[in-house]
Amino acid sequence: MVLKNTDVLVIGAGIAGIASALGLADAGLKVYLVEKEAAVGGYAASLCCKATDVCSGCSVCVVPEKIKQAVTHPQISLLTNSTVQRVGGEVGNFCVEITQKPQYIDTERCVACGLCAEVCPAEPKAVYLSSAEAIPFSYVLDERLCLRFKGESRKLCGESCPTKAIDFERKPRGQELNVGAIILATGFDIFDAREKGSLGYGRYPNVLTGLDLERMFNHEGYLKLSTNGKEPKNIAFIQCVGSRDEGHGYCSQVCCKYAMRLAHLIKYQSPDTQVTIFYIDLQTAGKGFAQFYQEYRESIRFIRGVPVEVSPASSDDLEVRFEDISQGRVCREIFDLVVLSVGISPRKDSWDLARILGINLADHGFFDTKEILNSNGTNVEGVFLAGTCQGPKDIPDSIAHGMAAASKAMQALTVRGR
Amino acid sequence: MRGEIVAFCCERSAYPAADLAGKGKLCYPDNLRVIRIPCAGRVDAIHILKAFEKGAAAVLVLGCEDGACHHITGNIRARERVRYCDMLLKEVGLDGGRVGMFNVAPNETHKFVRIVNEMNEKIKESGETK
Amino acid sequence: MEANTGVFICDCGRSMNNIDFSRVREKVAKIPHVTCVNLSSNLCLEEGKEQMTSCIRDKNIDRVVVAACSPEFKEHVFQQALENAGLNGHLLSVANIREQCAWAHEGDVTEKALELIRMAVNRTRLLQPVEEKELSVNKGVLVVGGGFSALNSAIQLSQLGLPTTLLERESTLGGRIRELENMYGFKTGPMIEAAEGAKNIDILTSAEVLEVEGKIGNFMVRIRKGAEEISRSFGAIVFATGYETEVTDQDFQLKPGVNIISQERLAQMLQASSPKGRPQTVGFIFDFYDENSRFPTLATLSNALAIKQKWGSEVYVLCRDVKVDSEGADQLYREAREHGVVFSKFEEKPRISADDGRVKVEAKDVFLGEDMTLICDLVVAEERILPPAGTKDLSFLLSIRTDSQGFYQDENVHLYPVASERKGIFFIGGCRGDLDFQRALADVSSVVMNVYGLLSSGKVVVEAEKVKVDPQKCVACLTCIRVCPHSAIQLARTEGEKEVAEISDLACDACGVCAAICPAKAIKFEGYSDEQILAQIEALGAP
Repeated sequence: MVLKNTDVLVIGAGIAGIASALGLADAGLKVYLVEKEAAVGGYAASLCCKATDVCSGCSVCVVPEKIKQAVTHPQISLLTNSTVQRVGGEVGNFCVEITQKPQYIDTERCVACGLCAEVCPAEPKAVYLSSAEAIPFSYVLDERLCLRFKGESRKLCGESCPTKAIDFERKPRGQELNVGAIILATGFDIFDAREKGSLGYGRYPNVLTGLDLERMFNHEGYLKLSTNGKEPKNIAFIQCVGSRDEGHGYCSQVCCKYAMRLAHLIKYQSPDTQVTIFYIDLQTAGKGFAQFYQEYRESIRFIRGVPVEVSPASSDDLEVRFEDISQGRVCREIFDLVVLSVGISPRKDSWDLARILGINLADHGFFDTKEILNSNGTNVEGVFLAGTCQGPKDIPDSIAHGMAAASKAMQALTVRGR
Repeated sequence: MRGEIVAFCCERSAYPAADLAGKGKLCYPDNLRVIRIPCAGRVDAIHILKAFEKGAAAVLVLGCEDGACHHITGNIRARERVRYCDMLLKEVGLDGGRVGMFNVAPNETHKFVRIVNEMNEKIKESGETK
Repeated sequence: MEANTGVFICDCGRSMNNIDFSRVREKVAKIPHVTCVNLSSNLCLEEGKEQMTSCIRDKNIDRVVVAACSPEFKEHVFQQALENAGLNGHLLSVANIREQCAWAHEGDVTEKALELIRMAVNRTRLLQPVEEKELSVNKGVLVVGGGFSALNSAIQLSQLGLPTTLLERESTLGGRIRELENMYGFKTGPMIEAAEGAKNIDILTSAEVLEVEGKIGNFMVRIRKGAEEISRSFGAIVFATGYETEVTDQDFQLKPGVNIISQERLAQMLQASSPKGRPQTVGFIFDFYDENSRFPTLATLSNALAIKQKWGSEVYVLCRDVKVDSEGADQLYREAREHGVVFSKFEEKPRISADDGRVKVEAKDVFLGEDMTLICDLVVAEERILPPAGTKDLSFLLSIRTDSQGFYQDENVHLYPVASERKGIFFIGGCRGDLDFQRALADVSSVVMNVYGLLSSGKVVVEAEKVKVDPQKCVACLTCIRVCPHSAIQLARTEGEKEVAEISDLACDACGVCAAICPAKAIKFEGYSDEQILAQIEALGAP
């Protein structure tokens, strides 16, 4: 079977892009994995494990492993800090222009020793690790903070770097890639909770999002209120923030489960903390959840009726006004922490990629699929969708969708050759 | 007896969690000696007992969270063997709880550090062994 | 045993201030078997790697210890340096003196670093090379099932050039596809025709799996077809055995009959051109018995709309929660309400009784806060999605676990989406549990990629005999065979006609559970043998 160019470009190195890349690489194809940020893994890489004394099935632990496989796979070329500027050609022969931001710190040479950060005179530091778990495990230089871009002439970091990984002369690097198929795996944006002004996010310090909680568990190991440093004792989760509403006529699929798992983790760590979840319809279907549901119903207080307003109460507490549907009346209750279960939204820069690739966006702003029987295909032959850029999905579904996209790409390239 | 803790760390979960603690500059006592293994289920009673024979104050066996073992039942087998060893150690006069089985995910850094710290507390409380 | 061990220490650009490297170098040189000690500042970079390679060659080093950053970070780089020097990459131990030493503790950690290096030296001198070997595999795939998932995966696999056998228990293909036809308006005929017409799909109907032996790359499957038995060999097996539904009559004291029907029956009625007497009021009940109701939700929403459009009846949907975490489900829910379908939510199961030829449904509506009574001409009852008949037996036959609800596969997240604990055996679609359309499709394409990746080249590269049974010591107690989570061990005859356990390199996942449990200590796990682990412990406390 004679094949034309069978290299594949995967745009986006979140969990779906990584799954696509691994699927193709394990089948012997060469894959270019292009990532906009300095680190790979997307949102999934910043989430926390929600095990209590047993695994809760959140699948977050699958991510570091897949990341490691992808960055060390001989068939995968990883390009971080890179974006796609232009795409021409057709399936079997796409010509792609990639631009990489100036690699002031060369990730291949950086050994993450931290000497640069020690000597950096800027406040806050302009060189740092984006996070302890960031892969590639390399320091990054933030142009916005770096004093050299404000007239400073010294190069203290460059001088202290033992591997000479820092070079201020580096320029943006353009590259042209020739590939047979393209997989778009650019992920999502979480709903910006500030848009729901009545819920107080961004104005009241003890209103957080689910993502804020996950990051706090990862970085601190437990929850603590920023206002008094203590553990919260009475927590409210508000579901469907940015889902199933005007402008987001879909279910984000992940929020009910992450809220329940986080709530249960909180109860496990701190049994006397009360947790209440305000919901519309509780999404509990899917593998691995049924076995815990009874336990969750017993340890968490569920109220049907999504709150409309969160307002400040005494000290830094919050008053939540909601309609308790089963009681048929409006109630007010005080909590010390309110967590907004924010949903999955399409990325704003999807418009750019849609234009560059010549593909369509669908009603809700996610990339449009060709037909019901093919949620990976687009209107352009040879361009496929993987993961949440096509619509909300949890981690296992993103991996499946990514593998499916790889399969479709593989099939397009193989059939092509006949 | 120098009060070392030997930790058998599964390479899919506890070993990366230990690395992440270092990357995040989360400090713990330096008496920890990590032995990397492919699965908690590889650890045998003889490995645990040998560690005590060589003067370890405690032994930790760390694997994946219950239900998330890459080899399905490896961490369950490890738990059984640790229980058996704990029983043996009690029979020879050591107080219980000097060997423990723990479950962590690769990004559960804080849990890893807490486990190490708690075992160190336990050793201090019991005093050193012969 | 004698070894010419080289120790390469890296101070990571002199950034690790709490280790006295000159002391380390001095002490390490005195460790027995260490014939060469090197201190570098950038061992993982090209310059450092090349120096390491030259040193290994020049000094005839045959075992290597690297004391540097975590093996998770750069082990593959150091292995490359060994291989460039002509040394097997497995003859290496990495002492983690950075992430798990210098970075993890305050104060001076020189003594710990030294001990970690001593542990690594002790292990390394016992290491043996592990070679890679290429093994041939059978490219053929067995797809068990004949419904939507089975047909689609067979078609996709065959299009990629893998000869596929489709094995269906019933006498015809199709499974439950007809139900999906109504929901999404596509025709199943073409799908079945595509499978029947494909030149490398072999279809066996009225056939079942009797036995599966062997390993990935070479599964020997015994099949019963009609009255005969056939044996075939396959490289991989995909189970797409679907699901069953059961109307939950016990809970509601319902008697399925003319007025209380299943979704499937409703679909048939809707397809009929003129049903005998259109029902004026139709009630749907779901989500009381089972949380896994994605498919029942989609079927309900789609059928409710169809009834509105075709019959114009009054339609009531009674449920606890509407499961909308499938693509397009929330939109369908909105559409249904816009077309006049009335949704009533309850916390408790409704009471169902007969009422003069019709069905009476009573429950307390959550939104109204009042008891509600509904008299329906037709009630579409809740159906549970269940594993297909024979799942328990099959799971026992295959030594593969099912999940807490009885479906394939185990709820272990590392198996998602479609893998099982046995390499080469996959599960897709409804037999995995509650599904919706898009998820089933993703399963299908996902497994196709997995199987293609495994089998397409006809060869698989394995680490030869990494975990090996010593036939002299083995007493064939069968413990390892029973315990191996990947079913990678079987009985085999040696040249001397002795029956011993044999580990398949293809199926083995190198966990070591067998090595730990073998009562005769007959299993050697290279890199993690008892000696190699104990050697590290032996190094504790040495001067």
